[in-house]
Amino acid sequence: MEQITLLLEGFAGALTPMHLLWALIGVTIGTAVGVLPGIGPALTVALLLPITFRLEASSALILFAGIYYGGMYGGSTTSILLNTPGESASIIAAIEGNKMARAGRAASALATAAIGSFVAGTIGTVGLTFLAPAVAGFATSFGPPEYVALMAVAFTTVSALLGPNLLKGMAGLLAGLTIGLIGIDSQTGQPRLTFGVDSLLDGIDVVIVVVALFALGETFSRVMTGIGHSTVQPVRGRALLSRSDLRRSWPAWLRGTALGFPIGSLPAGGAEIPTFLSYTTEKRLSRHRHEFGRGAIEGVAGPEAANNAAAAGVLVPLLTIGLPTSATAAVILTAFQSYGLQPGPALFEESGPLVWTLIASLYVGNVMLLLLNLPLAKVWARLLTIPPYAIYAAVLMFAALGAYAAGGTTTDLIVLCVLGLLGLLMREAGIPLAPAVVGLILGPIAEQQLRRALVLSEGDLSILVSGPITVVLWVVAVLSLVVPVLLPVVRKRRSTLAGTATTNGSSGPGRKSE
Amino acid sequence: MTKADEGGLVTTEANEQVADSAEHETDLGRDRRAALSSLIFGGLMVVAGPVMIVDARGLPDAGAMGPAVAPLALGVLLGLTGFWLVLRSLRELRSTPAARERTMPGRAALKVGALAGVLVAFALLLPVVGYVVGSAVLFVATALLLGAPHGWRLYACGWSLAALAFVTFDRLIGLTLPTGPWGF
Repeated sequence: MEQITLLLEGFAGALTPMHLLWALIGVTIGTAVGVLPGIGPALTVALLLPITFRLEASSALILFAGIYYGGMYGGSTTSILLNTPGESASIIAAIEGNKMARAGRAASALATAAIGSFVAGTIGTVGLTFLAPAVAGFATSFGPPEYVALMAVAFTTVSALLGPNLLKGMAGLLAGLTIGLIGIDSQTGQPRLTFGVDSLLDGIDVVIVVVALFALGETFSRVMTGIGHSTVQPVRGRALLSRSDLRRSWPAWLRGTALGFPIGSLPAGGAEIPTFLSYTTEKRLSRHRHEFGRGAIEGVAGPEAANNAAAAGVLVPLLTIGLPTSATAAVILTAFQSYGLQPGPALFEESGPLVWTLIASLYVGNVMLLLLNLPLAKVWARLLTIPPYAIYAAVLMFAALGAYAAGGTTTDLIVLCVLGLLGLLMREAGIPLAPAVVGLILGPIAEQQLRRALVLSEGDLSILVSGPITVVLWVVAVLSLVVPVLLPVVRKRRSTLAGTATTNGSSGPGRKSE
Repeated sequence: MTKADEGGLVTTEANEQVADSAEHETDLGRDRRAALSSLIFGGLMVVAGPVMIVDARGLPDAGAMGPAVAPLALGVLLGLTGFWLVLRSLRELRSTPAARERTMPGRAALKVGALAGVLVAFALLLPVVGYVVGSAVLFVATALLLGAPHGWRLYACGWSLAALAFVTFDRLIGLTLPTGPWGF
């Protein structure tokens, strides 16, 4: 198997002392920001972008990958002990996990989340190892029309899936696309939406937008509504699983992984949908159904596994096609670009050693995370006792530092403040930020591909639907716009027909997305 | 963090139920605020759409590959989606009865304004007072707006965090951060 040789070479690169150190720093920072409320991996990677530009590409990417995986582990700690998910994909785990913690079983909940994350993360990374080269091989045949269609799919599915409803998802996406358009057009040199302001000519740095929307939006919102009172559940005993807990957990881990990885690796979903599906699956299959809603361990094990497997899956379209389907993946794409690397099929050919070192470091990172999270669960739980005002004030301070480092002028800080107020408005209105970030980063790439396609066809739009792949992708894109609109109508009609309205458990995720 | 601190944060089940019911009372207010915020956001989109179209009309026309295509299309989409959002939030506003408490208390708006003001002041004064002083003030002001207790601890915390950030990023990593007349 060619992959195994390449992966072994990757391990040779990842196991050097320097790379091990960066992986360790990455997973530690990742776990910490996953645990702390108000900071997510997308924000952290964005903040570190202007600081890490002196690092070698491989070191920086290993660091970011560690933050990405670590954020997923840390998020579960917060949702279990605090019932305020640190990152959006942990919301489901908060339902059962926090109930378990209230019943004094926080240690078991943390253990099943950590081990489940390890199992799923590792299986997911194995999946990535074998699937990614195949997808990359397939994607080499893609031309600009296929890329345009793929991005259309990403735009529509991200809007439909990562928000409370399609309309708000679209609003978020369009806001991101608009901000991405500001500045000089790279192909024609024409300034767009700059309104004569010189400092807008270079566009607004991705770092500033992401930091403003996430960090400032959150801080403004806390200032407005107050920090509130949160209850941290104490961790009693060591984070270990009893035999019966293990017997109930492992099938849930595997089922969660089986749902998470394939759905995550589609050029559509992100990590939220599979966690939700895993929860409903576990609830239906469990022999302890009466425990659901009161702290069933399967309800933590399955969704946490699904969450981490999906996180590995999201890397498949990111690395092989250059298509991010979550906010963090979009920011990591920017990190690649800042090193002059363009994720896509060519990445595997041109920067093979780098990619394989990165993938090998994901295996290493998962082992580190298990070691960091199981014995040290109590230490991470202590982070939650930091008063929230200190966390948010520090977040704001580092946000200002990041924006200054990215731009270096007073104007950048003013732009940061204005976009922060926009972030507050979006948060209050329930408009999801993830589609905005994906639109911001993917928008300019989509425009470039569209122009390439039209140059090839000399302006003939029919090139966009010229091949079977493009037709299928456009159908998927249209369906993802139509289905969320039609589904409630159909369901309403069916329920009125049935007379008694039986609410369907899987009526779609309706929560805020990070 | 001492044992006592930890104990203070771990409240009992009974306390929490009280907090839960208090939250339900403000649910109506929150729904209304969400509808109002969507209305404002939709309104912004409705305004931004035509602005983008006007801006795009000023660009040289180069056919399907030109720089004007994307902003024109986006302008139309912005306007339409914004209009739809406005309509839907108006309907939501009408269907949610006005909550007893005001949707957004004046004090909350004032606090948001104050934080924005602090940020702008930070932006303007950074080159004058230097990174450490500026950031320490930013930290303390934000924490106070978030309801932190006054006291030397807060100031010490802000000062040491700012100093630590300066040493790490300016001296170790090599970012050039602005220095005041005193060199930090």
